Amino acid sequence: MTAVERDAGDGRSADPRSDPRSDPQSGSYIPENAIIRGEDVVKEYETGDTVVRALKGIDFGIGPADFVAVVGPSGSGKSTLLNLLGLLDVPTSGTVRLRDEDVATFSDARATRERKRTIGFVFQQFYLIPTLTALENVEMPRMLDRTPKRTRERARTLLERVGLGERLDHYPDELSGGQKQRVAVARALINDPAILLADEPTGNLDRATGDSILDLFDELRAEEDVAVVTVTHDDYVAAAADRVVNLVDGEVRDDEPMATDPGGGA
Amino acid sequence: MKPLRRLAVQFPTLVLARRNLSRATARTVLAVVAIVIGVVAIGAIGTGGEAFKQDQLEAYEGFGGTATVDPVFYPEEGGEPDTTFTDAEIGRMRRASGGATVLPVVEPAGSFVRSPEGDPLLTVQVRGLGDPGAFYDARAGTIPANWRRSIIVGSRVANDNDIQPGDRMAVLVNGEFERSFRVAAVLEPQGFADPLSADQTVFVPLAQFDDGEYGRAIVRVDPQVRSVDDAAAGIESEFNDRRRTVDVSTVQDQRQQFEQFFATVNQFLIGIGAISLLVAAVTIANTMLMSAIEREGEIGVFRAVGYPKRAVISLLVAEATILGIVGAAIGAPVALGIGAVVNQVLVGDPLAFTDAGLRYVGLGVGFGIVTALVAGIYPAWKAANRPPVEVLG
Repeated sequence: MTAVERDAGDGRSADPRSDPRSDPQSGSYIPENAIIRGEDVVKEYETGDTVVRALKGIDFGIGPADFVAVVGPSGSGKSTLLNLLGLLDVPTSGTVRLRDEDVATFSDARATRERKRTIGFVFQQFYLIPTLTALENVEMPRMLDRTPKRTRERARTLLERVGLGERLDHYPDELSGGQKQRVAVARALINDPAILLADEPTGNLDRATGDSILDLFDELRAEEDVAVVTVTHDDYVAAAADRVVNLVDGEVRDDEPMATDPGGGA
Repeated sequence: MKPLRRLAVQFPTLVLARRNLSRATARTVLAVVAIVIGVVAIGAIGTGGEAFKQDQLEAYEGFGGTATVDPVFYPEEGGEPDTTFTDAEIGRMRRASGGATVLPVVEPAGSFVRSPEGDPLLTVQVRGLGDPGAFYDARAGTIPANWRRSIIVGSRVANDNDIQPGDRMAVLVNGEFERSFRVAAVLEPQGFADPLSADQTVFVPLAQFDDGEYGRAIVRVDPQVRSVDDAAAGIESEFNDRRRTVDVSTVQDQRQQFEQFFATVNQFLIGIGAISLLVAAVTIANTMLMSAIEREGEIGVFRAVGYPKRAVISLLVAEATILGIVGAAIGAPVALGIGAVVNQVLVGDPLAFTDAGLRYVGLGVGFGIVTALVAGIYPAWKAANRPPVEVLG
């Protein structure tokens, strides 16, 4: 691994010793074959008269089968990063590229298509549709596709894989928190995404179920090359990851201890 | 595949929409009720109005071949205006009409009738008529063939005053006569379309009048055989060649005028009914807005997992449209039920729906569905355009 000196005109307050973008241990590492990569990404929000800088010029990259944990205190920019990775938002400055295309150039329709093709979401609050059964919830992202048989088979397989083969026809309010979580994971996988974005995927689970989710992630990465990016407060999830993006106050801090405690700093 | 599953596969949007509606039952029911009221208002006013029109138009039955001829005079030219027809003119009318029955009518300016008991009958008209038998049928008694000395009484005059054939009544006509007549016959009821208002009239033979001047003439053809319009045109061309001296008016024309007038009134009433659909539209828009706000997280998920805006709009518009369809499906039979009651009361047959009446029910159904659909568009558009990043916490 070659350490490359940063351009003098870069204007960023980055680690002067080496380029972390080439360091596989760094949260700013950008793999060469990255599916999605961000460079010098700034995201600002206007709230009333004040402008909040949620991300202050960070680099990131997700390659196939990567397992990346995003950690940091509340307000450190974790959700903002996840939204950018999920093509739900575009940076204020800097570039986010999906397969070498700048996502800022995408129309809404294009971004929607790319989300469907590339991204699987597991939302923190699951957002299962209460009027649909577990099986239908998993089918939901593909319900408008004219491939009902294939969709149903795939949904059934996924639910069996997350251990809910016996709960196919249950409605969300008939499922426990952990079961809902697993339905949400199965739903995120129905479109065979390249990247699975999971917000606190083990947050509502006991350790055993959490482990089974992590095992599932490992399987998906090994068998289907799915990259997993997860925001987590669980140290053991972060420990299982290939690398950790430690966000503090909108910046990636490789040199600081992981700030997984929600109460610590902001 | 089970039939329901097949339906779900074909129309996933509709299935999602229907299930969403089942979530907030009370709200859904209220929105449907609003549409039902609108559809019933339009449908029931439409069918009821048509039944009323039919009831009224029945009065024109039997007068299809009838026209009246009135003199046209020009008072501004000074001198004594010619306000009457002579026997000669009546003869010309008969020839010009191509053989229609033309009866001269005397409508005396001052007249007075007493009942058999001697009470004054203030609302009763006196008319002189050539040959009532050519025109009317008797309900009681007989219309004499050679009618010179008796009178013939209209049905309402007879009913109101309990007059029978054989009774005697005093009739006074200013400057002509005052004497007592025997009632020869009571006529069948004729309705309001009769140009001579026979129901309210006591007919006196022309022989009782001296001067041979007639205030109007009445023309009749058998409408099965020939057209009253031809007869009217013949008279018009005979008399109005150089200047307009007679006014010919067919009962058919009056009927059309009545229909037009009635159509205007009915449209006005249906416009009022349509306002209730407008209110329904507001209700549905409100329902859908609330529903979209409650579900904004879910809708954000739909957008996040790759549903295009169009699909979200379709989903919410489908929900609104289902409200409209259900409302219309309930409203149409209710409107028809009300229409059947009105038909029974006015026309005597609950199923006497006219095409126009049924069209109004169809109109209500169509308006109800379209209203709901249109009301759903804005909430749907709004929900679909909400960036998912804003609603997914």
